[in-house]
Amino acid sequence: MATRRGFLAGLLAAGLVPKPGWADVGGPAFLAAAKLPEGGFHLFGLDPAGATLFSVPLPDRGHAAAAHPSRPQVVAFARRPGTFALVIDCMTGKTVAQLDAPEGRHFYGHGIFSVDGSLMFTPENDYEVGQGRIGIWDCDAGYTRVGEFSSHGVGPHDVVRLPGQDILVVANGGIDTHPDSGRTKLNLPTMRPNLSYVDLDGRLIEQVELDPALHHNSIRHLAIRDDGLVAFAMQWQGDTAEHPPLLGLHQIGSAPVLLSAPGDLQPTMKGYGASVAFSGDGQSAGISSSRGNTAHFYDVASAGFATAITAPDVSGLSGTQQGFLATTGLGEVLDIRKNVIQNVSRHPVSWDNHLISI
Amino acid sequence: MRAFLAIPFLLCTQAVAADVSAIVDDHILPRFERLAATTDQLAKVAATDCDPESAELRGSYHAAFDAWVAASHLRFGPTETGERAFALAFWPDPRGATPKVLSQLLSGSDPVVDDDASFASVSIAGRGFYALEFMLFDDQIMVAGTPEYHCKLVQAIADDIDQTADAIWQDWSDRYAALLKTAGTDGNATYQTREEAIQELYKALTTGLQFTSDARVGRPLGTFDKPRPRRAEARRSNRSLRHVVLSLQNLRDLARDLAAEDENLTNTVSAAFDEALARADVISDPSFADINDPQARLRLEILQQHIDAIREIHAANLGAHLGVSAGFNALDGD
Repeated sequence: MATRRGFLAGLLAAGLVPKPGWADVGGPAFLAAAKLPEGGFHLFGLDPAGATLFSVPLPDRGHAAAAHPSRPQVVAFARRPGTFALVIDCMTGKTVAQLDAPEGRHFYGHGIFSVDGSLMFTPENDYEVGQGRIGIWDCDAGYTRVGEFSSHGVGPHDVVRLPGQDILVVANGGIDTHPDSGRTKLNLPTMRPNLSYVDLDGRLIEQVELDPALHHNSIRHLAIRDDGLVAFAMQWQGDTAEHPPLLGLHQIGSAPVLLSAPGDLQPTMKGYGASVAFSGDGQSAGISSSRGNTAHFYDVASAGFATAITAPDVSGLSGTQQGFLATTGLGEVLDIRKNVIQNVSRHPVSWDNHLISI
Repeated sequence: MRAFLAIPFLLCTQAVAADVSAIVDDHILPRFERLAATTDQLAKVAATDCDPESAELRGSYHAAFDAWVAASHLRFGPTETGERAFALAFWPDPRGATPKVLSQLLSGSDPVVDDDASFASVSIAGRGFYALEFMLFDDQIMVAGTPEYHCKLVQAIADDIDQTADAIWQDWSDRYAALLKTAGTDGNATYQTREEAIQELYKALTTGLQFTSDARVGRPLGTFDKPRPRRAEARRSNRSLRHVVLSLQNLRDLARDLAAEDENLTNTVSAAFDEALARADVISDPSFADINDPQARLRLEILQQHIDAIREIHAANLGAHLGVSAGFNALDGD
């Protein structure tokens, strides 16, 4: 691996490989940040089975990352309320650019590229006014900031893009925070989360708000299926004795559908959706709960509960051809097929919140 | 590699060592009973004397507010039903909703103050202790509106506080105390295991510490270049430092109760709180108004560091002792 990388770097220097792609770093299927046992932080590239292909150091704890659609470049975001993100060349492991949030803004740890990879979009907090923004960065000009628009809500956490279209889907979690008071939630009694579809001019195309009785259900993380069906994971900020649905499905132009596990199972999620994903075939949707040490899986077509798995501190979740891959804070990578854990591989790291599909 | 995997996260694997029933009886119930009693007194005093500068009214406001702060870390169950805790305590208020709502009520002499049921429909920012503080201590709002209407609004807020506190106390004594005490028995859907009850109490400790550090201290602290003394909690009635001290004293009680089975742990946790309280002792300005002075700001920052040390070291040890430590991701909670 190192030799091949050195060889490729040499070729690059000689100008013989003008356009390296993801295949040149082993064709990773996933990205995940992790804490090392000795204390540092790295970003890893994983193959479809969850084996590590490469790792690059991060200066601080990561959260999520975004993969460039063609170049082997990754934008790694610091943990909220971070104000920087690093563009890392996965061939050399070097930081090639840095995104610094403008004065008065911080990132939420997520971002997404445009279809052609020329622009990057980052959910941000305009914290003096407590309003969400989407920052725009020019990837072909060294990731310089070229503009921003409203996220159409408060606390925009995650963002995805409709397949093949430059329409962003933003999870406005609804929670107002200010970096001076850490992660203290400043507006729980009045919070109003939403799911917003926004074009690249910042125009609101569609906005979904849940029933007012669910206004404490912070819409936090997103997954998208090839046909544009959005899965959203929520985090309940209301009474812990209540156990509302934490997973929703939404197709633009339709009403949202909320999914919940039967009986005593829904309370095992502890009101906390950590990550959300569709299986590779799009027939299942999964939601993890690190607080509940569990993940729940649903049949998308019927919106019915399928099964639950149990794993300590399970958080990262992504679709594979056969089902799902999940990561845990104890270093496990769980291969989940037919909604059952088929195989567990272990790594000497603590996998951080999210597992990102490339 | 295997050794590393085994050590760092203890996830509900240890025996549960804390007496939930004793904590309910000795820590939780007396605090909400006191809140109900002091708010009852507040409403009674306001009914006969609504002058914002009345020493008796202000005295009963301080006593009831003290009782709330002493219970304010117990944010689960009865306090969260129907947003009762927020109806008592709408703070932080970064966008200034409380003075806005009060000014609107006062300028239009809104008849909503005429009966209790309709007052409960007022924006939650216009209810509770922080609204009452504006009515009694804010230079502008204490003299806004007609004197008759101002008086009625003070009385309506005090009555509403009293009713909310009564509802919390009733709910604790009629229902929730038993739920916590019978955790893990058949038919208890709220706490299916005893660990869940311990975890709830432990979470009250850690989130209480976080709120005091991040909000009560952190919001006025701002940054070195830009301290924010006007963001201090209840600064108009000179209660900012008092809230930090009261919350630390009450969180220390809960931490001691949770650690009770282990004398060593009880002593070290208790000493860490005492150390933080000693740092609060040397702060002279009760409303943190002096923190534009670098020396004064430093004293507050040192206090915050001591509170964070309790969070990071001692609360973590206590969590391990109780077997309720959260994992790498569960703790991050993002």
